[in-house]
Amino acid sequence: MAAEANNAKPTFLSPPQEGKEPIVSLRGITKRFPGVIALDHIDLDIYPGTVHALLGENGAGKSTLVKVLYGIYTPDEGEIIINGRSTRLTSPADAISTGIVMVSQSPQIIDTLTVAENIILGLEKYNHFVPVTKVYKTIREESKRVGIKIEPGIEVWRLSYTQKQLVEILRAILLGAKVLLLDEAITYLPIEEKKRFYKFIRQFADEGGTVVLITHKIYEAMDVADKITVLRRGKVAGHLDRKEATIEKIRALMFGERSAEITYERLPTAQPEPNTVLEVKDLWVMGDFGGYAVQGVSLEVKEGEVLGIAGVAGNGQKELIQAIMRLRPVIKGKIMYNGEDITRKTTYYLRINGVGYIPDLPAKYGVSIENSIIENIAVLPVYSRGIINWDKIRELTLKLIKEFEIKTPSPDTPVKFLSGGNIMKVLVARELTVATNLLVAYNPTRALDEATAIKVRKIIKDKVLKNKVSAIIASEDLDEIFQISDRIAVMNSGKIVGVFPADKAKREEIEHLMVM
Amino acid sequence: MPGSIASFIIGVSSIFLAYYLAAVGHGLMEKSGVLNLAIDGVFTLGVAVAFAISVYTFSVPLATFIAMIVAAMFGLMLAFITTKLPISHGAAGLSTMFLGYGLAALVGLPARQLQINGRSLATIQPSLGGTWVWFYVVAFAVAVGIWYLVEKTKIGAAIRAAGENPASAEALGVNVLAVRLFASGVGYALIGIGAAVFELAYTQVWSQGAGMGYGWIAFAISLSAGRHPILIIISAMIFAVLDKYRFLIAAIYNLPPDVGKMLPFVAAIAAMIIFMVTPLRRKLAPPKSLGKIYFREERSV
Amino acid sequence: MVIVRRVKPLPYWIIPIIALLAGIAISVIILYVLMGASPAAVLSAIVYGFTRPGVVAKTFVALTIVGIALLVSFKGSIWNIGGEGQITFGLMAATWVALFTALPYINPGLAQASMILLAMVAGGIWALLAALPRAYLGLDEVPVTLIMNYIAYYIVDILVRGPWLGKHVYNYIRTDTIPSQVMFPQVPGTTMTWDGLFLLIILLVGVWYLLKNTSIGLRIKILGNNPNLLRSSGISVPLMVIVALTISGFIAGSVGALYLGGDVYRISYPVEVHTANYGYTGILVAWLSMLELIAVPIAAYIVSALYTAGIQYQILVGGHLGQLITAGSAIVDVFIGSILLMYTILITISEYKIKIIVKKR
Ligand SMILES: Nc1ncnc2c1ncn2[C@@H]1O[C@H](COP(=O)(O)OP(=O)(O)O)[C@@H](O)[C@H]1O
Ligand SMILES: [Mg+2]
Repeated sequence: MAAEANNAKPTFLSPPQEGKEPIVSLRGITKRFPGVIALDHIDLDIYPGTVHALLGENGAGKSTLVKVLYGIYTPDEGEIIINGRSTRLTSPADAISTGIVMVSQSPQIIDTLTVAENIILGLEKYNHFVPVTKVYKTIREESKRVGIKIEPGIEVWRLSYTQKQLVEILRAILLGAKVLLLDEAITYLPIEEKKRFYKFIRQFADEGGTVVLITHKIYEAMDVADKITVLRRGKVAGHLDRKEATIEKIRALMFGERSAEITYERLPTAQPEPNTVLEVKDLWVMGDFGGYAVQGVSLEVKEGEVLGIAGVAGNGQKELIQAIMRLRPVIKGKIMYNGEDITRKTTYYLRINGVGYIPDLPAKYGVSIENSIIENIAVLPVYSRGIINWDKIRELTLKLIKEFEIKTPSPDTPVKFLSGGNIMKVLVARELTVATNLLVAYNPTRALDEATAIKVRKIIKDKVLKNKVSAIIASEDLDEIFQISDRIAVMNSGKIVGVFPADKAKREEIEHLMVM
Repeated sequence: MPGSIASFIIGVSSIFLAYYLAAVGHGLMEKSGVLNLAIDGVFTLGVAVAFAISVYTFSVPLATFIAMIVAAMFGLMLAFITTKLPISHGAAGLSTMFLGYGLAALVGLPARQLQINGRSLATIQPSLGGTWVWFYVVAFAVAVGIWYLVEKTKIGAAIRAAGENPASAEALGVNVLAVRLFASGVGYALIGIGAAVFELAYTQVWSQGAGMGYGWIAFAISLSAGRHPILIIISAMIFAVLDKYRFLIAAIYNLPPDVGKMLPFVAAIAAMIIFMVTPLRRKLAPPKSLGKIYFREERSV
Repeated sequence: MVIVRRVKPLPYWIIPIIALLAGIAISVIILYVLMGASPAAVLSAIVYGFTRPGVVAKTFVALTIVGIALLVSFKGSIWNIGGEGQITFGLMAATWVALFTALPYINPGLAQASMILLAMVAGGIWALLAALPRAYLGLDEVPVTLIMNYIAYYIVDILVRGPWLGKHVYNYIRTDTIPSQVMFPQVPGTTMTWDGLFLLIILLVGVWYLLKNTSIGLRIKILGNNPNLLRSSGISVPLMVIVALTISGFIAGSVGALYLGGDVYRISYPVEVHTANYGYTGILVAWLSMLELIAVPIAAYIVSALYTAGIQYQILVGGHLGQLITAGSAIVDVFIGSILLMYTILITISEYKIKIIVKKR
């Protein structure tokens, strides 16, 4: 199979299509960031009337590429050719005027503005001083035409995530988009909504539009794309036609020589001890926008056990994890740790009593990238109270660097100079060291490339096995949940809707419960 | 109490207009996300420029116009460097403030020397010929005009978008630089006119340091009214009365006169706290990206 | 024109030097255009400023201390613009000790120490008042500390005009002169006092130790870079905000005592006119130091030399614009403004590159 995949490799330029000129061509696009070449001489042709998927694992450079195409990033080298003409894009407004519009994973529309205000900002035909109400009629008409119900005067913060993405699409249509860049725009939508978007994308392409669909999920590309281009470490790994694409071929291109390391087999399990380390009883927690995000959750974690919490993003996992870590107030219910009621205790209390914590978006919440590795370790209150004993902490840091194979010039290197995988290792190493009793984690491997993600999971599981630590790990990645958990709890709309032993759990059943 | 309501209103009209214009200009600029810490320096410079030009040309319109242009140049400069370069708004503003103070003295002193040697200063007399009525008309027209511009028009939406989240605004098709240049240029033009009114209609004298501190009062007025052009009418009026009649008020209530000077600042902080803790927050809280460094290629996650 | 991040930043000491030279060049041009000042005279005043450590010393000590004070809060990304107010409160506290207690007559040494200590406490309290709404309501500290400077001025004005009005002041509005026992002794041949010098050394060493070896120092640095990490580590972010800003005000407050005991010996009304503006100038010092403690005295020396140069220029050229000229402070403002502005702009090129893109359509 690997041999077959390699055959696909030599096609570095997508084959020309008869009778058609590419609408967008990239030649030699290169973009460097401190410590990484995000795009390394990318060549790509995109033809009108096609859905062209850009696939690649996290960090491959997909978002950088679309941001270059949308005029947000300026490439260091290379040429963008639109409709046969070499074009400099220096702002999104430039891109919009050539018919390129981007919709990304996090909605760009601004919360405090109304839908109409957000939309009119890009519409060149309205002069600067017209009242925004001028655009209401057009919005109403167009939204009816594409089958979306949206009131132009409503403020965006009142909309749900799905509605916001719909507004983004509507905006793209009103801007007269000829090329639609979707950067993981539908990846995080519930299944049903996703299907509606697929239909829309198909229709848009059939009417002559062009869609560039960026995703790291192979099946998403397989579902709608006509053509697939795979990026790996900032380079084009290969181009495939939908007809010739198979999951194996794509995987080989995405992960390259490491694709053999990528397995989603369950990691070895231990025999959990009978005593309970963490117990949550009828927990109620508020979300960020009012309303209960966690609604009467009860669960238990035994000593030496990994409890995985599966669920689609935004179903209360974040709030549950934060409440357990005492980073969010509990409205009702109880949290017990080692038989002690900690509902009114502080994060500090947990952190000096053997609880490790790996938060979501680790670069944002778990490390300080401007500080050195050693400072990032010393900050935990178990290591520094009053006067800091730097010798001891340096010793510990050196030990961790060796043990976890962290690639760094020295323990005093600012974390921002490390690669994403090594930053994550600093965090995991630190937290596993303080987690003498319990590890709490949320999406512990998000933003890592697959091979590193799997390595990190192994490290975590190893520690749990060896030191009889318990863990509660919430993740939006079902592969991760299956790989690491001993038991799986499914969370949906703030409630636990099912708990299964991992070896007996059925994937379909869990997926169904997640979106039910 | 002052003689009559009429003379009272006439009396505060010039300082009211000066405060009002400067505060509205400040609010407009900050709505677009540019933190304005240069206001006191540029206000002081505007006062000196208005004074100097009035001495040199004996023309009130020309003095006002040049003060407006000079101030607007500073507004454009601040908007340009804070938007185009990833630099600290605070540092840019404060250094411009120092520069404004220094330039004000250098611009004003030679004119003052001429004045001592016998040249006179053209001024506006708010108490004569109903000029003061026009002061209020201008203030209300500006209030409604700016309010409409910011809340109802496309460019107003763009200004608010640039203040909330410049990266998103850019992605939505806004030219953040152009919008901030517009808001800051117009904002500082208003500050410049305010400074000219302050000099030519209110104090009508100049010595080194004239106007210093009044820019900060305008700043405080704007913040205490949540940068809202209509609400600023109310707070500008309160602060104008406090400034004009502080000795009188202090005498009546037997308070030290400096209490009157202090009140605007206390009120500004109190108002800011109130906006933060009440539902007014959504409408009157500062723009989310006010003073945040904007760099288009920033990592977004 | 497009800005992109440099893959490798420039060495950090290059920028302050370029900024200094560019700022001086711009000032020379401004002074020439607006007042016809001969560049040679301006430059010779600058040379004078830089070569007279004894003259510069008083300003240098004050600015170094304010620079250190602001550095502590700036390290935590808490932008304390309220040095002026904290100094003014310190001035008030020190004046109280000197004029309204018997301490100066009982034990002058203790009285001087109390003046400094109480000034620090007063500065700390004033900063704390700004820290509380920042910590618990998220109210931006920049406008709050700034506005509080004015409130501090007026509180002191009220005192000076009211209960503290001196008995032996002729028709001036000011306090009495402090007793000679608490006038800080001068270091011979310089404008600075022994008290100031000792305080400077203690604070430099103390803050160095604080930032290097204590958990508070580490936490302030992390507060500045990523408060989320503090939160997830179990450390209270509001508490650290309060600590950083209060320490900053505490240190700044001492300058009020030095100003009273080593410089003016009384408070004159209105205090906002008679202030040395160290609180604002100190911002320049802290920024120029790039938040490196060892660079603070260097930056303070540069700024105080320029300060002296401005005054010196006025003496050199004296009367050039007529008798009413007090342009010295204006020249200082032009120097400070243009250097700081140049620095602020140029600092970007150490981490960013400017690319000019020509559009062909
Ligand atoms: N603005 C930025 N500054 C610095 N590095 C960046 C920036 N954006 C992306 N990177 C780095 O570039 C690489 C590619 O990132 P990205 O394009 O976001 O990948 P993808 O979207 O495929 O997950 C990563 O190593 C990322 O850390
Ligand atoms: Mg991406």
